[in-house]
Amino acid sequence: MPKFSDYLYYAIHIQELRSIIQKIWHNPVHERDQTKECETLKRCFFFLDKTSRSFSAVIQELHPELLVPICLFYLILRGLDTIEDDMTIPLSKKEPLLRNFQNILEKDGWTFTENGPNEKDRQLLVEFNVVVEEFKKIKPAYRAIIKDITKKMGDGMADYANNAEHNINGVNSVKDYELYCHYVAGLVGEGLTRLFVEGGLANPALLQRPELMESMGQFLQQVNIIRDIKEDLDDKRRFWPKEVWSKYVSKFEDLFKPENQEIALNCSSEMILIALNRADECLYYLAGIKDQSVFNFCAIPQAMAISTLEVCFRNPDVFKKNVKISKGKACELMVKSTQNLQMVCGIFRDHARRIHKRNNPKDPNFLKISIACGKIEQFIESIFPSQKAGKAGITAKKAVSPEQEAKEKAEAEEAKWDMIYMGLAVLVTLLVISGFMVITLFPHLITLILTNNP
Amino acid sequence: MEVHRILVTGGTGFLGSAIVNALVKQEHYDITVLDIKPPSTNTPSRPNVKYVQANVLNLSDTQKIFKQAKPTIVIHTVAVSPIGSDRYSQRRRASVFGLNVNGTRNMLDAAKECGVRAFVYTSSCAVVTDDVDRDYPNMDESTPTGNATLVYGQSKAAAEKLVLQANTPHFLTCALRPSIIFGLGDTQTLPTIHACISKHETPYILGSGLNLFDFVYVTNVADAHLLAVSNLLTTRTAAGEAFFVSNGQPVPFRDFCVAIWAEFGHVPPWEARIPRAVAWALGGVAEWVTWLTGSQATLSRGSVKDACGVRYANLEKARRVLGYEPTVGLAEGVKIACQHYKRQIEQLS
Repeated sequence: MPKFSDYLYYAIHIQELRSIIQKIWHNPVHERDQTKECETLKRCFFFLDKTSRSFSAVIQELHPELLVPICLFYLILRGLDTIEDDMTIPLSKKEPLLRNFQNILEKDGWTFTENGPNEKDRQLLVEFNVVVEEFKKIKPAYRAIIKDITKKMGDGMADYANNAEHNINGVNSVKDYELYCHYVAGLVGEGLTRLFVEGGLANPALLQRPELMESMGQFLQQVNIIRDIKEDLDDKRRFWPKEVWSKYVSKFEDLFKPENQEIALNCSSEMILIALNRADECLYYLAGIKDQSVFNFCAIPQAMAISTLEVCFRNPDVFKKNVKISKGKACELMVKSTQNLQMVCGIFRDHARRIHKRNNPKDPNFLKISIACGKIEQFIESIFPSQKAGKAGITAKKAVSPEQEAKEKAEAEEAKWDMIYMGLAVLVTLLVISGFMVITLFPHLITLILTNNP
Repeated sequence: MEVHRILVTGGTGFLGSAIVNALVKQEHYDITVLDIKPPSTNTPSRPNVKYVQANVLNLSDTQKIFKQAKPTIVIHTVAVSPIGSDRYSQRRRASVFGLNVNGTRNMLDAAKECGVRAFVYTSSCAVVTDDVDRDYPNMDESTPTGNATLVYGQSKAAAEKLVLQANTPHFLTCALRPSIIFGLGDTQTLPTIHACISKHETPYILGSGLNLFDFVYVTNVADAHLLAVSNLLTTRTAAGEAFFVSNGQPVPFRDFCVAIWAEFGHVPPWEARIPRAVAWALGGVAEWVTWLTGSQATLSRGSVKDACGVRYANLEKARRVLGYEPTVGLAEGVKIACQHYKRQIEQLS
C-alpha cells in the first residue's frame, strides 16, 4: 500500500504523476515475441528479470537483432560478477574461473553450484547451462565480441582480487579509480558499442573515438560510486580514491562525522566534478546511435545518472543513506529520454543548471564545477545552436514613423494581455481537471504505480 | 636552429611582456621591443632582448627602428581600450581609431618596407562581441564582424581587416582574437573585479547570472602568438586568417567574479538578482546622476548590457590550424593571478 507521504508528494508534483501514467501506457519500440521463444531462452529472460532491476525492461524492448545477444551479454557479466563478489570462494579457485570464463561460455552444460548461500544471484550460475545453450545460437560475430570483453573483464577482476592493497585500503589514485571503472563499466560500453555497430544500429565512427564509449561507462559507474558511498562503507568497501578524500580528511571514516559535514560536501563536489567532466562525451556518443530502441537503451541510464548526480550534489544525506531520485522523477526522465537527442540534451542542461545554482563559492571546487557546467552548455550549443539568425548577422533596422511605432506598440500590448488571459483560462481549466483526477483516480493510480516497477 | 629577428610592439605591456617572455624561452629569437613606455623596473635584462621607445603613430621614428632591427617577423599588440563610461560613448572615437587603426596601418607599412615575412596582429574578440545588443554563444570565425556598436570593437575590426587584407605570399599576416585576458601584471580585469569588494557591489547579480563568457590566461594568449608565428614561417596555413583564442572554458561572468572574490576571502554576504531590464533602467538613472554630479559610476546602460551578454567562442579553428591548446587552466590561472595580486597589494600597503 502506498504511504500517505507518497500521496502528498504526488499531489504537489503533478508533473511527475503525469509521467508515471505516460510511462505505464507507453508503446515500446519493439516487443519480445514470446511465442517464438524456446524454453531455454524463456529461462534466460526469467533470469534477466530476476537479476537486473533497471535494465531488464529496456533490454526487452531492444531491436530484435540485438535483443538476445545483449540479454546474454548481461547474464554472462552478471555470472562473472557473482563469482567475483563471493568472498566464500577461495582465491585459488576464483582466479582460474575469472580468467577462463570466456571459454566456460562454450562448455555445454556448464553450471556452478559452489556459491555461498547468501549470494543473491547464485541460481543464475546453478542453471548457467541455459545461457551456454543460447550463447551457441547467436551469430559468431556477436559471440566473438562477447567473449573478448568477458576475457578482458575476467582478467581485470582477477587482478583486483589478487591486489591485497586494493582490498584493504580501497582505491588510491584517481587513475586507479578510473581504471577500476574501466574494468567494471568502460568495458561494457566497449562491448555494447561493438555489438551496436556490428548489428548496423550505430555509426561505425563510434569505434574510432573510443573515449566516447569509455565515458558512457565511466559516467554511470562513477555516479553509482558517489551515490553508494554510505552503503559501500557499511559493506567495508571504498571506491572514492584516497587522492581525492585525503585532501579533505585524514581518515576516510571522518567524512561521515557530522562535524565534518562541510568538508565532506566539498569532497563530494570534487567526486561529482570528475564525473561531470564526462557528461559532454556521453551526449556526443548518443549522437552516434541510429536506432531508436538502442538510443533509449543508452539514453535512459545516462539521464538517470545526471539526475542522480544532481540530487547528490551538496547533499549531506549522501553520507547518511542511499540517496535516490523519486519514482515519478525517474518516469519523467524515462519518458523524456526516449524521444530524441535534443530532449536528452535538455535534461542534461537542466540538471547542469540546477547543479550550478547550488554551487558554493566557499567550495574549493567552485570554479571547476562552473567550468564543467559551462562545458555541457557549450557542447549542447554546438550541436543545437540556440540562435541561427544571430550568426547570419546584420538585420538592418527598419525605419518607422512615430505613428507606426505607436500603433505597433499598442498591438503588442494588446497581444500581451491576450496571452495573459489565455494563459489564465488554460491554467484554471487544467486545475479543475487535475483536481477532479486527483480526487477520483488517485488511490487507484498510486497502487498501480507502486506495484508496477519501472 | 635558425635565429629569427622579431619585433614586438607594445612589448612592455601586460600581454606584450608575456609574449616577450615566451619568445625568450624559445631561445631562437632575437627580440626588439618597440613601446612608448620603457620596461618596468623589475624586468630582467636579457642579452637577446632590446628595448626601444617610440610611438607607433610616429612614422619616421618607427621606420628608423625597423631599419635598425631588420625584423623578419612582427607581432603587433599595441592598442588602446577605453574604460569606464568612455567605453560606451563615442567621445574618444578619434584617439581610439587613431592608435588602433592608424597605428596598425603604420606598422604594416613599415614592416612591408623592411621585407618582413610574417606579421601577427593581436586583434580581439570584441570585433564580434562589442555588438552589445546581441548574444554570441559558441561564435566562430564564420560569425560576421562589422556589427560592433562600441568604438573599441569597431576600431579593432577595422584594423583587423587592414591586416588580413595585407596578406600576400611574400608578406604573411594573421590575426588573433583573445577574449578577456587576465593574469600576472593584469591592470584591468583583476583589479576591477577585486575593487567591487570594497565598493560593496558584490551582492548584486545583473541579469540571470547564467550568461557564459570566455576568459583567457595571459600566457595562453602568448603561446597562441608563438604558434601563429611558427605557422606563418612553416606551413603558412594561418596566413590571411583570424582566430579566436580563449581558455575554452566558458563560465558565467558572475562565477568568474565570485571565484576571484573567494580567492581574497570574500563571499557575498547576500545576493540580489536584478533583472536585465531593471538593471538597464537603473543604469540609465545612474548615467543621468553622474552627468549631473560629474562623477564616475560603474553602472550604466552599456555596462549592464556588457555584463548580461553571452560571449564565448568555439576554438576548433585555433586548435586545428595553429595546434593551440591552453596550457594554464582557468581555475589554476585565477589562483595564480589572485595570489600574485594579493602580494602586490600587501607590498603597497
